[in-house]
Amino acid sequence: MRRVLERLGERPAAFLAPAAIVLGVVTFFPIVYVLWLSLARYSLLGDEPSFVGLDNFVRLASDARFWNALGNTLYFTLVSVVLEIAIGLAFALLLARPFVGRAAMRAVVLLPWAIPTVVAARMWEWMYNGDFGVINYLLGTGINWLGDPVWAMHAAIAMDVWKETPFVALLLLAGRLSISPDLYQAARLDGAGPWRAFRHITWPLLRPLLLIVLIFRTIGAFRVFDAIYVLTGGGPANTTETLSIYAYKVLFQALELGYGSAIAVAVFVLVATITAAYVRLLKEAAR
Amino acid sequence: MRNAIEALSRGLAVLVAVLGVAGCGDAPPAERSDERTIVFKHFRLFGDPAPFAALLREFEARHPGIRVRAETLPAASDEQHQFYVINLRGGSRDFDVLALDVIWVAEFARAGWIADVTGLLPDNEALFAASLEAVTYEGRHYAVPWFVDAGLLYYRKDLLELHGFSAPRTWSELAEAARTIAAREPGVHGFVWQGRQYEGLVCNALEMIWSAGGEVLDGERVVLESPETLRALEFLQSLVAQGVSPAIVTTATEEPSRHVFGSGRAVFLRNWPYAWTLFERPDSPIRGKVGVAPLPHFEGHESASALGGWNLGINARSRHPDEAAAFVRFMTSPDAQRTLSLAYGYNPSLRALYADPELLAAQPHLTALRDALDAARSRPVTPRYAQLSQVLQSEFSAVVTGLKRPAGALADAQREIERIMAEP
Amino acid sequence: MRRAATYLGVLVVAAYCLAPLAWQLVTSVRTPAELTTLPPLLPTRITIEHYAAVFTGHPFPRMLLNSFVVAGGATAIALAFGAAAAFALTKMRARGFGAILALVLATSMFPPISIVSPLYLLINALGLRDTLAALILTYAGFTLPLAIWVLTSFLRELPDELYSAARVDGCTPRQALVRVILPLAAPGLVATGLLVFIFAWNEFLFALTFTATERSRTVPVGIALFPGLHEVPWGEIAAASLLVTVPVFVLVLRFQRRIVEGLTAGAVKG
Repeated sequence: MRRVLERLGERPAAFLAPAAIVLGVVTFFPIVYVLWLSLARYSLLGDEPSFVGLDNFVRLASDARFWNALGNTLYFTLVSVVLEIAIGLAFALLLARPFVGRAAMRAVVLLPWAIPTVVAARMWEWMYNGDFGVINYLLGTGINWLGDPVWAMHAAIAMDVWKETPFVALLLLAGRLSISPDLYQAARLDGAGPWRAFRHITWPLLRPLLLIVLIFRTIGAFRVFDAIYVLTGGGPANTTETLSIYAYKVLFQALELGYGSAIAVAVFVLVATITAAYVRLLKEAAR
Repeated sequence: MRNAIEALSRGLAVLVAVLGVAGCGDAPPAERSDERTIVFKHFRLFGDPAPFAALLREFEARHPGIRVRAETLPAASDEQHQFYVINLRGGSRDFDVLALDVIWVAEFARAGWIADVTGLLPDNEALFAASLEAVTYEGRHYAVPWFVDAGLLYYRKDLLELHGFSAPRTWSELAEAARTIAAREPGVHGFVWQGRQYEGLVCNALEMIWSAGGEVLDGERVVLESPETLRALEFLQSLVAQGVSPAIVTTATEEPSRHVFGSGRAVFLRNWPYAWTLFERPDSPIRGKVGVAPLPHFEGHESASALGGWNLGINARSRHPDEAAAFVRFMTSPDAQRTLSLAYGYNPSLRALYADPELLAAQPHLTALRDALDAARSRPVTPRYAQLSQVLQSEFSAVVTGLKRPAGALADAQREIERIMAEP
Repeated sequence: MRRAATYLGVLVVAAYCLAPLAWQLVTSVRTPAELTTLPPLLPTRITIEHYAAVFTGHPFPRMLLNSFVVAGGATAIALAFGAAAAFALTKMRARGFGAILALVLATSMFPPISIVSPLYLLINALGLRDTLAALILTYAGFTLPLAIWVLTSFLRELPDELYSAARVDGCTPRQALVRVILPLAAPGLVATGLLVFIFAWNEFLFALTFTATERSRTVPVGIALFPGLHEVPWGEIAAASLLVTVPVFVLVLRFQRRIVEGLTAGAVKG
């Protein structure tokens, strides 16, 4: 018996099982529930839930507030992900070099990510204050950062980029450090400069990891909630209201579980599509 | 590295074991069969925890066999609301008494989450009219008023006197005074209030709308779109547009606006009564210079304040409804309210306490506050208030930031709210 | 010249990461009267009353302990289960490689607030309300996708011969994983571990929903309990947020060496 169990324990399925169980419990059930709710009309203030098929999605299509939130989310994701990857990559390459205090710097670079999001958001809210905020003080401006329809979104982006760049930097640093120094040595001997070393060694070997970072940051940016909610609450005038914030308001203020779940499903569909597009694009680029 | 991994797995095993032990060891002592524990869920009371704890012990002493366990929630209203929605919808029986924002009562009652407590209220005359209205749903009462709040106008007595103005009675008087004084005093803004897109903005805007003769609902009918409301919204938009208010009000909540006024940088402030004690602190730069008055109104109409505050409700699925009822009765009694008011500065819901000598000595502004509370109006009491508020917040924010013209915002709000109220 | 550029870059990175924290530090020692005055940039008087208030007013050490246990537990599970899964996918030629990765990723594409309510129902049904186990399980579930993806990427770079050689030497797959493969994937393990730990350390929404008392309260929820209805103790919040960052900083400092050490375990790429 023990022999059989041991044998079973060495099969691929046994190695996949623990992760599958945890994922199944924590994410599978809630997601199925959300999918079911999105097909139902269910208000906590109303009567029993009823199945309405795709009605919620039809309603979404003509919901101006949904499209506004979608536009805000796309803009936020695009700008913040581009900035995070650019800055994160730069930091990673820098920190891979030898210099005094390198160890401490690698810990320092993780600090923005290490602060609880709500604390960081309050911190930045404090700094963005139009009257006694340090940002206006240092820049000599009097911009109403969080209360201006144009600036508010960019203020939120700046804060999120600051917070999430360490995630990118750390992963890319780890990737960069797994590249054997012999390769760089050989390139140097061949007379290649830093740019060519980057193009022919670093970039191709980092690309798989870059894809992962891109995917996870896109998913993260698409789902952003805490940071913006604390900073602006979705305002002013819904100019920073993202899909997650809109879903939150529908679920927890309007108490419409069906419609709110439909918004969540819409987020899923959008993110899945974008991710699939990434993978395809990068596969083709590799060829 | 291999050693590290094996050490890690051993550590993981230890961790799990520790967790198991820790989980067991920390379980609350099993209830004795003759003892019932009720759980009181409330927002964080800022200040010395001793008076509150003493009050709970006093209740336990008077009711042998009942134990009270107080559990705190973050003070942010939205976070509390979200917590309750998730827990109560999930049928939680983990708490018996809960503190409810005035605007949630009809919603929770409709959803079946809180119990009918009509028998627990004091005589109707003992409470403020708006306060009573807020806890009534379909003729029954579902919560007992605990603390109350009303919007007030704070002003700089010294600056007004210096420049020859008296406390404004109408909005145009206020705008005039604000503009004039701000122009003459460098670094001082005119009128600060809460204009961020959140619930506070609805309070600010409704106060103006009511004082112009407008209203949101008349029974189930939506009467928002009216010349009176339009007049109020146009005034609201003009505040920032014409420099009566600084641009920062579009992102201000209670505390940031209080800070601006409290450091001497504004002539007028609309805020809740809590700010008074802070302005009169020894280290306050404006100590002794602050006056309090009812909010201004438009010509031909009356001043109006938005009612704020908290009520106590009982979980409909509580295992100990009788004990919970006793606790609620105790916490809303005059003695308990007096104690809490003195210790934490919250305003009692019982009208008689506003003439109480002990309270008046500690908070002299209570008289002005009582007048404001008598004139306070409750925000629309409907289970769909949260949804209404979402619409109002968006539209009012668009008006305040100049993104929409008042007439357009009003039409959009009317249409949306009609749609919401038409839902079954 | 190159060195100068490097050090200049390091300075920029340091400023970028530390400036807001430095501002928090300044705020945490300002007296209440000076909290909202801006000139002066630096306070004229310094006080440690905020730090004292953090400990006297709240069960801070307990919350730190809870956070440690939760984050540590979630990290251990995410790494262990994630590495096992990644190993199966890359070396043991488990079937459905692409499909499994896609499915795993799909679970992280839903906005957390949409699943908090159903998850609460589940946690309640399992009797895990107000326990640390609920949070550990939840966070492990949320971070497994990242762990699996990153570790898959790292393991895939390792030559297959390493594994087959180990099998030939008589190792069971598990022994091969633990003794041969994982040490070489150290940079990925450490990086993932740090990210998972910090995610769990900072998570707020689920911590708020699943906990009720100090028994299971973690630090982010604790800090959310600092403000009263109207009062926001900026000084205390600043002090607490710095106190909370120190353990993480120490942890990262201790482990970031492993990212480098993995190199010396043998050539990896190339």
